[in-house]
Amino acid sequence: MSHRRHLFYGAGLALLSTAPALAQEAAAPVAPTSAEASLRLMWVMLGVLAVVLLLFIVLLVGLLAFLKPVLRKLYDQPAVHNSWSGRVLGLLVGDARLMQGEVRDELLDHDYDGIHEFDNDLPPWWKYGFAFTTVFAVCYLTYYHVLKTGQLQGAEYATEMQQAALLVATTSDDPNQLTTYTALTAPAELSSGKGLFTTNCAPCHGASAEGKVGPNLTDEYWLHGGEVNHIYRTIKFGVNGKGMVAWKGKLSGKQILQVSSYILSLQGSKPANAKPPQGEKEAPAKTLAVR
Amino acid sequence: MQADSLVPAAAPRTPLIPNAPERRVETFYYDNKIVRDFGIATVIWGIIGMLVGVLAAFQLARPELNMGTAFTTFGRIRPLHTNAVIFAFVGNGIFTGIYYSLQRLCKTRMYSDFLGRLHFWGWQLIIVSAVATLPFGFTTSKEYAELEWPIDIAITLVWVVFGWNMFGTIARRRERHLYVGIWFYIATFLTVAVLHIVNSMELPVNFLKSYSMYAGVQDALVQWWYGHNAVAFFLTTPYLGLMYYFLPKAAGRPVYSYRLSIIHFWSLIFIYIWAGPHHLLYTALPDWAQSLGVAFSVMLIAPSWGGMINGLLTLRGAWDKVREEPVLKFMVVAVTAYGMATFEGPMLSLKNVNAIAHFTDWIVAHVHVGALGWNGFLTFAMLYWLWPRLYRTTLYSKKLATTHFWLGTLGILFYAIPMYWSGFTQGLMWKQFNSEGMLQYPNFLETVLQLVPMYYLRGIGGLLYVSGVFLLMYNLYQTAKAGSLLVNEKAQAPALLPAELVEEHQTGHWHRWLERRPFQLAVGATVAILIGGAVEMIPTFLVKSNVPTIASVKPYRPLELQGRDLYIREGCSNCHTQMVRPFRSETERYGEYSKAGEYVYDRPFLWGSKRTGPDLQRVGGKYPSSWHYNHMLDPTSMSPGSIMPTYSWLFDQKIDYSILPSKIKVLRNLGTPYPAGFDQVAVDDARQQAQGIVTELKKEDIEVMPDKEIVALIAYLQRLGTDIKVKPEQAASVTATTR
Repeated sequence: MSHRRHLFYGAGLALLSTAPALAQEAAAPVAPTSAEASLRLMWVMLGVLAVVLLLFIVLLVGLLAFLKPVLRKLYDQPAVHNSWSGRVLGLLVGDARLMQGEVRDELLDHDYDGIHEFDNDLPPWWKYGFAFTTVFAVCYLTYYHVLKTGQLQGAEYATEMQQAALLVATTSDDPNQLTTYTALTAPAELSSGKGLFTTNCAPCHGASAEGKVGPNLTDEYWLHGGEVNHIYRTIKFGVNGKGMVAWKGKLSGKQILQVSSYILSLQGSKPANAKPPQGEKEAPAKTLAVR
Repeated sequence: MQADSLVPAAAPRTPLIPNAPERRVETFYYDNKIVRDFGIATVIWGIIGMLVGVLAAFQLARPELNMGTAFTTFGRIRPLHTNAVIFAFVGNGIFTGIYYSLQRLCKTRMYSDFLGRLHFWGWQLIIVSAVATLPFGFTTSKEYAELEWPIDIAITLVWVVFGWNMFGTIARRRERHLYVGIWFYIATFLTVAVLHIVNSMELPVNFLKSYSMYAGVQDALVQWWYGHNAVAFFLTTPYLGLMYYFLPKAAGRPVYSYRLSIIHFWSLIFIYIWAGPHHLLYTALPDWAQSLGVAFSVMLIAPSWGGMINGLLTLRGAWDKVREEPVLKFMVVAVTAYGMATFEGPMLSLKNVNAIAHFTDWIVAHVHVGALGWNGFLTFAMLYWLWPRLYRTTLYSKKLATTHFWLGTLGILFYAIPMYWSGFTQGLMWKQFNSEGMLQYPNFLETVLQLVPMYYLRGIGGLLYVSGVFLLMYNLYQTAKAGSLLVNEKAQAPALLPAELVEEHQTGHWHRWLERRPFQLAVGATVAILIGGAVEMIPTFLVKSNVPTIASVKPYRPLELQGRDLYIREGCSNCHTQMVRPFRSETERYGEYSKAGEYVYDRPFLWGSKRTGPDLQRVGGKYPSSWHYNHMLDPTSMSPGSIMPTYSWLFDQKIDYSILPSKIKVLRNLGTPYPAGFDQVAVDDARQQAQGIVTELKKEDIEVMPDKEIVALIAYLQRLGTDIKVKPEQAASVTATTR
């Protein structure tokens, strides 16, 4: 018995000793007001909560183990045994019959080609499980279709899109409104642009932008404008019906600018197997003129 | 455990009325040959079906295994695999078990030897006809119901032969009461008949082409009512019946609980039928039908587990035998796998879980736990138990059977774990957004390539599993060689007394009344299985608001229709869905989510159930036609690393315009609003549209004849999902960019 008592006190002590520790810990990261800090605080609090809960469970188990002989005696009294609270007590002291039912193993007088049948009770866990799922099903249908409290898929989608709109900074999404970027020239930016081009654009425009399914991007001829902001627009919104995919949502604004700039850097590179020119000729000077 | 609960040597007999007439003991013979024949067919088709499955598995890891021919591409091989393992392997397994157990449970020979042979050869012929049509592209594309209409009729006829033989046997029984196994057999027969007939309603165009009588959302609902309940009433209820016979037999123990079998039988067949819509969560199916699917799926846990616990608890007192007896080992894993799969199913039916799992390999893992574990292992157990009895000898090698058990178990693990892993991975990758609010993996292919190592492992799992079946075949062959088949097994039983003379028939459990009356039991079961389907289908067909029409959605043009039929022929829907779900992650990736009204001319619906490739509902107009041309010829040219097979024959074969007018006529009869006489001008219209595509391709330096199949397929792909695509915002973008 004594080791149980030790466990009992030990757990209590541990619980007490964590209290000040958690106060210190919690106090520290309050100062920075950034979202990150409050997120960290949340995790710390959750962690503390988990530890406290764990301690409670340990305590409870210890307490039960400690009190089990007494509880068992209480449970065995007929008045307690047959009441609802008695059944809870029975579960606590580990009366297996409450879970698996009375197993009488009495044979019925059935004989099917030598197969016999018992008529044991339905296991209570199964019976109550069935009842629980039935209640769940009724509540589920009531929640969504009688009370109409729950969001069905259309409403759920609308909510998801609203939340996304709050989180994602909205940039101008009007295709008619031209952006006013300047082509990037830093080697690091162009090399990022090259990487993006290889994975996303090369299948249609060729590895050297010589043109395959899509047009050649290295000549002076442009279908939808050869100025960096025109290219930016073409990439972002695509060209409906002509096969140019809209990349907004797949590439970020920065990435689109990097690719656009990389494409412009290929002007006049004259790759092998170049596709014949398509669209209107635009003087290279024009690229610089429009700013 | 009470040792005294072992079966008494002689069970207490029914007390008779004192002056009841003498019960004459009759001698009769069980037909063992038909059981043996079905058993052999089970093993042979099992091996074939599983080998085809292994091929399909490795095709996903190494696309060159599609072998560059039309007949061996994944889209045609996969339906062959599913049909072979479900209807050939499990189907023959069901008949093996029923023909053995039904005779003994009814204490009579099967009603007719001739009907038995007719059933056997008819069923094998149907399977052969599946092998002779599916790889050649003759398919309805409706999953597990791919066979074309003449074969559908043949299935119906053979099924009637089976039912006739079964009910004839029951009518001649010498055992008054029907055992729980037979209840399950009866429910199986009736429900499969109803499912098959309702789902196969189609109007023929010619001998091997037909169009579904249902369109779009309604077709989807009927198909998944069928698909789900094919699992329920072809893979579950007959096998529960077999379990109730072979498990207590092999364990030598009484069934745990009679009343549990009553309640789980009735609740199972009643509830199962409602759960079909859980295959269509977050689709264009009306919300109320989806919710019914969820609610009833959750309620299905207990009825399913009723079967599992009645099986496992029957083994109480026999667990020491499990250690030595491979038959029992197989049974324990089978029943446990059944329990796992039937718990997982309801969990997958919860919408939030489904949102991650649907269209991924998680579902593939789920069905294979059921198929490999439950159906496969129970079949093996049954065969190992039966063979020595049929051949009056002992099993050739217990050790080999145990080796088979471990190979099979390992195979299941190697199959299931990588598929769960792959399902989680892809489901989460599809949904991942980065901090800028954009898809983390906008390139679909990236999520596929992540899974290739898992596809290898899964293939290895399949190989392990099927190698075990070879051991089974060898073991059974040697067993048969060592013994001799007991063709007609002698048995004796007293003739039935008239019911009113037996005292027990006036008292006892209320359900005993029903067990004496096969007709009433069958009627009861039919009512139970009809309710759920009727409640879900009738409103979806009759209430207009369930499928709101969209004015801009028009019927397919003839060339697009031809292309659509090619899409069906090539089995594209085995890997591509046409259902954008209302999630931000999907509308960002594919475009506007799918609406019920978009599918009103889709016969059959082509929503698909698995995304090995991306969704295609909004692919129309996304790429230029030249992209599709190059992509179909060599997918890796447009999507480096793609695991899609090449479709070179589409570039050689000519479009078959000969049946186009009949197609238009059939569709008009089904309600597609083509103008009168349109069938006469359909071919001209198709040629005109083809010319347009050829001209467009020519601009990109691609020379193609307008009568090649690829042109029709491109026409269909470019049409997909475009009817509702024209919106003011996009129109503005077009004018702006084209100046």
